[in-house]
Amino acid sequence: MITGGQRFVASPPAFSQDGKKLLVCTGCTVSIYSVSTGMQITELEGGHTDRVTSVVVVPVGAPSSKFMSYCWTSSLDGTICYWDFASAELIKKVKIQFPVHSMVIPSLSTIGSTEEGSNLYAFLSVEDINKPASEKKALHGQVRIYNLKNQKPVGGLLTETRNPEILYASKNGEFLGISNKRKLHIWRIPANNFRFDEIKKIKLHHTKKLTCLAFHSTLRMVAGGDDTGRILIWYNFGREKFAQNLQNLKGTKNPSDEAKPGVRNNDDVDSCTTWHWHPSEVKFLHFSSDGAYLYSGGNEGVIVVWQIDTGKKKFKPRLGSPLLYFTESPDPSLSCVSCSDNHIHLLKMPTMDISKSISGIKPPFSFPLKHEGSCTQVAFEQTTGLVAVSTEDYCVQFYSLFDNHEVSEVQVCKRNFQPADDVMLYVALVAISLDGSLMATIDVTIPEEKLGGLVCLKYWTRGSLVAEYLLSTVIYEPHSDAQVSSLAFRPGHNMAVTSSYGGDFKVWVHGSHAGRNNESMQRTGWRCQSVGSYKGKPLTAAVFSADGSILAIAAETMITLWDPDSNILVAMIGDTLSPITKLSFVGKSEYLVSYTHSLKPQLSVWSTSNLALYWSHGIVTEAVSCSHDESQFAVLALLSSPGDADAKGNGVIFFFHVEDPVPVATWTVTKAKGGSLAFLPANPSLHESSATNGVNQLLLVFMNGKHEYTIFNPHKEENIISKNSRKSQAAQDEAERLGYTSIYGDLSNSNAKHNHFQEVPFAPSERPWETIFSGSSHALPPLTKLCTSFFESLLEKRLENSNEMIIDADL
Amino acid sequence: MADESKPFFPVEKAHHVKPPPPRRPRLNTQESRFWRCFRHSELASGLILPVTALEFSPVAPFHLAAACSAAVHLYDGGASPSLAPLPHSPLSGFSDVAYSPSFRCDGSLLAAGGESGIVQVFRLDKAGPPLRRLSAHARPVRFVRYPRLEDKLHVFSGGDDALLVYWDVPSETQLITFPGAHRDYIRAGSPSPTSPEVMATGSYDHSIKIWDVRVPSSSNAILSFSHGDPVESVLFLPSGGLLATAGGNVVKIWDVIGGGRLIHTMEGHNKTVSALSLGRVGNASTALGGGEPRLLSVSIDGYMKSFDFAAFKITHSMRYPAQLLSIGFSPSGNSRVVGTSNGVIYMGMKKKLLQEEKGTGSASVFDGYAPEPKKQVLKPTNYRYFHRGQTEKPRETDYPIKRAPKVKLAEHDKLLKKFRHREALVSVLSKKDPTSTVAVMEELVIRKKLLKCVANLDVDELGLLLRFLHKYATMPRYARFLMNLANKVIEMRPEDIQSNKHLSKHVGSLRRRVAEEIMIQRSLQEIQGMISPFLIIAGR
Repeated sequence: MITGGQRFVASPPAFSQDGKKLLVCTGCTVSIYSVSTGMQITELEGGHTDRVTSVVVVPVGAPSSKFMSYCWTSSLDGTICYWDFASAELIKKVKIQFPVHSMVIPSLSTIGSTEEGSNLYAFLSVEDINKPASEKKALHGQVRIYNLKNQKPVGGLLTETRNPEILYASKNGEFLGISNKRKLHIWRIPANNFRFDEIKKIKLHHTKKLTCLAFHSTLRMVAGGDDTGRILIWYNFGREKFAQNLQNLKGTKNPSDEAKPGVRNNDDVDSCTTWHWHPSEVKFLHFSSDGAYLYSGGNEGVIVVWQIDTGKKKFKPRLGSPLLYFTESPDPSLSCVSCSDNHIHLLKMPTMDISKSISGIKPPFSFPLKHEGSCTQVAFEQTTGLVAVSTEDYCVQFYSLFDNHEVSEVQVCKRNFQPADDVMLYVALVAISLDGSLMATIDVTIPEEKLGGLVCLKYWTRGSLVAEYLLSTVIYEPHSDAQVSSLAFRPGHNMAVTSSYGGDFKVWVHGSHAGRNNESMQRTGWRCQSVGSYKGKPLTAAVFSADGSILAIAAETMITLWDPDSNILVAMIGDTLSPITKLSFVGKSEYLVSYTHSLKPQLSVWSTSNLALYWSHGIVTEAVSCSHDESQFAVLALLSSPGDADAKGNGVIFFFHVEDPVPVATWTVTKAKGGSLAFLPANPSLHESSATNGVNQLLLVFMNGKHEYTIFNPHKEENIISKNSRKSQAAQDEAERLGYTSIYGDLSNSNAKHNHFQEVPFAPSERPWETIFSGSSHALPPLTKLCTSFFESLLEKRLENSNEMIIDADL
Repeated sequence: MADESKPFFPVEKAHHVKPPPPRRPRLNTQESRFWRCFRHSELASGLILPVTALEFSPVAPFHLAAACSAAVHLYDGGASPSLAPLPHSPLSGFSDVAYSPSFRCDGSLLAAGGESGIVQVFRLDKAGPPLRRLSAHARPVRFVRYPRLEDKLHVFSGGDDALLVYWDVPSETQLITFPGAHRDYIRAGSPSPTSPEVMATGSYDHSIKIWDVRVPSSSNAILSFSHGDPVESVLFLPSGGLLATAGGNVVKIWDVIGGGRLIHTMEGHNKTVSALSLGRVGNASTALGGGEPRLLSVSIDGYMKSFDFAAFKITHSMRYPAQLLSIGFSPSGNSRVVGTSNGVIYMGMKKKLLQEEKGTGSASVFDGYAPEPKKQVLKPTNYRYFHRGQTEKPRETDYPIKRAPKVKLAEHDKLLKKFRHREALVSVLSKKDPTSTVAVMEELVIRKKLLKCVANLDVDELGLLLRFLHKYATMPRYARFLMNLANKVIEMRPEDIQSNKHLSKHVGSLRRRVAEEIMIQRSLQEIQGMISPFLIIAGR
């Protein structure tokens, strides 16, 4: 069983301490990506059973601990885990009992606090599950303190909020804050080994709902963003309350006499300024590590860089989707921004160029309601195991199911994406031919009060790369102004069919014809070969048989069979109770499966040899997939009727043999609404063992409404396909060692005493000899300078060796 | 590493995909810069008769001889802004059309053939009757050539009677005759640049023959090969080892030393190539042998092409508005001339005349060094001091980093970027480009802002919109969208339209347009009704 398609942007990612790895929360696991290649290195799994909500990397204190790569993770399953993420090992697990929504460990930030003896306090934002969920007004969110050293809670609650809020800590670990409705709560946390009652708190007030906050790295400055797009900056907060020495304060004059510009409710700050650029909610705020700039971002997909002293702005536009988090790495030239389209962009810092993208499968978007019937967001390309997903920013994303990463993206409509409330232009249908060489898309512009609607059919041919498609033909309004209901390619031919609710279908062929003038080259393109209709009824579905000899078109309740070459009506089958939503031929057999989607749901299997209904079920079908060769098909059925408002979305996958109305196998799934199914051939590169058996194994892939997917073998009870066969894909760029490193590595390993330290991963050290001696001799600096740096590198290596010995002694 | 974020899409590109623009030749090569530094003018002979030959004198000041009708016109190559006729021009001793003028190697005599079959030799320093008249040909003589090297006594001539004669000019006697040298008209030939005794001729029998007067006259040509088309022009390339021949619409390069092996075929012309010439490209003084040699060819299709016979590549081509028959390129490099079939000689003079560096060149040989002009050192008081180095060109070893190309946005795109929808609509309406206007309107529909924009337009802007609608609403390409829009506009702004005279005028004309369109549609439907029975019958 292979799972994939997790959301990378559910929680903020974290950089490792050397800035070369990125820890991304992916569902119940934490995936570690290489910053330089953008590929997954390893995965921390087995610790959590629910969504991981935050990752805190233990910083490197002294240079002696440079090898250490440890992190704390918190999860909704009420546990906190301590990992060695270099070797992907779980070290410690702490039970909290409450779902943890956010965790910060401020004392980690102060260097050296990881030494023995000091307690490690984690501040947790937990959900109080004792209070019933039906009580809307109850305070479900709590902020608690937990001592991770002795695994005991400390003191009582810091505060209670309506919902669990995200915790923010300042860089030096002195302050902690949450945004609670129209207020910011800020605590000052004393240094190590504090008592609970030493923690002091202030509140800062605003008139709008605050959504995020950020602490300045050095100054006593806090910024808050609200849901109207304003950014407030409070200077010098907590001068009275957090003052170390009360006597000193009394000596000065009472600050309340002074004018406090922009401050509400006589808050404990000197002044407050407001900046406004974002038109909607501010999603993140982040002070740069040097404290000169403030980064902010929101729904409109633009990172705004504010110069704090002057308020001047710089922009990084066209990131393509609403932004969620901004994370800075210890390396000042690198940071990353998480977008809500499941992408994490790594930015080269001063210029903010995207150097790499960690791209997950793009999430589904909501179609406008009345057009929902005629949309399929997902198309599978059988041969290479790719899925094509139409995305909100008018693209088709190709995603490798077996490797769980994005392959390419095809821009269907050349238009700048602006996140808006209502979708006016969307890619409605995507179809890919069986061999993957052709693609067709339909994009729809919704008219503004019956003005300017446009349906556009585009044909694409594959380029030289996998999943690289080039536009070949554009057809505006293929069925005048009627909506296109389905789009299908004919297997083995350069032919496609579109059917429309306007009552006609068109067969398109790819052919070459001479250009208008003789000078221009011969042009190739798609053109309409024939048009057909059946009694003027709306045509709701169209499909070719597996060998391409028959075209089946559903005219509401009737199924009509056509000869696609001569465009002659061959036969008609049966009568369903309500209009057919989708048709599919079952493999190479004579049977046809259809389902209807309205109030009287029905799944029917038709025989084309005697033109009659074979069997049917009254189940709410969401998707059907037929294997290409065998006479089997899988059905995704919902457990609730479509009219149900509060449908949970649980569903069942039935695996039928076409001769038998009793399913061969069933599986229950969640989030089935909007899901899809497909048969894929087992990827030979991944599963040599099954290929040698001689059995042509088909795998079934189920993609749920959130675009998370599972690939499994429908023929076997046990899911023996091992997970993570894709691990081999990860580029282990850190593994390579050259020149002196390899020599030094060998030296340490040859020491029999330290044999068991071979697992200790080597942090890639600087290798100055690779660069300092390169270049022409006249351009080289004097040899004395080179020598020092060369020897320094050697010395450093020696130190690391001694570190190993120290660790050894500790153990 | 390239930035992978999305590019900005201007609205036009969203719809109406245009084919890529036709590939334009890059105008920025060094060669094209050289050809562009000629100032163009016309030399009219006054007659609408073809200019069959153009020949530059081999010595300074490089006079030009042009054969046109029954005269050979002479132009002073030293005249400054453009070539000027010499005082004793034209040479008129011809009873019929003159052909093929040829300068002697010292430039003091000129031989020319003619329709009458007589070869005449003129002196160039003053007017007068021809010095010698050489008569042997019975048919027109189209090919007369002095040997190119230091041979002042002999002349080759070939005529339409397929006779090739080697003359001793002073005594007017035929030293050698080759009767039946070719099986058809001899129309072209070229003396070898390395030997005064060797001559190549080309004929309409498709063959090129190379003759040597030192071998006995009884024997045939020393080399013969076939061009494949009637040969219009033959030219030895400067080395003497290569020969260029023009015939049909191809120019072929032959290796003469290698026994007449075809080296390259240049197929750049669309019609018959009429003449060939040698040119030198480059800003060094070509009189001193600077610059790269080029083979220039002209054709009936009106193109002059410059062919680099070292790289076998056409490096430049130029178009003239007439059929071209002849070409000449001054050895000084200052001028080039092409002759057309209608009597016009197109002349290009170098804008900056190349200096005759002969004097200074010899001086430098004697002095041993050339005094370099003193370069003025820029001082901070000079304005240019602050601009120094800004126009510096990268050297060959430098690695230029290109600045990201600046995206030029139309005004409506800039306004749309700032979400100033009404201004964007107004700015594109005032541009009067229907494609981009409709594209902006469609973009506004996608943003759900078009109707709001229409509601907010003031009276003048509404006038713009109505004018646009009345002009384009019935165009089939936009009709579906614009007719609906016109309806909506009239529904939304009735008071403004009624109160303003201009607006109601626009609406009136819009109504007339629509009525016209309805008439057209009706008549089209009638035609369709008439045709469809025929089609059905034909289908059976």
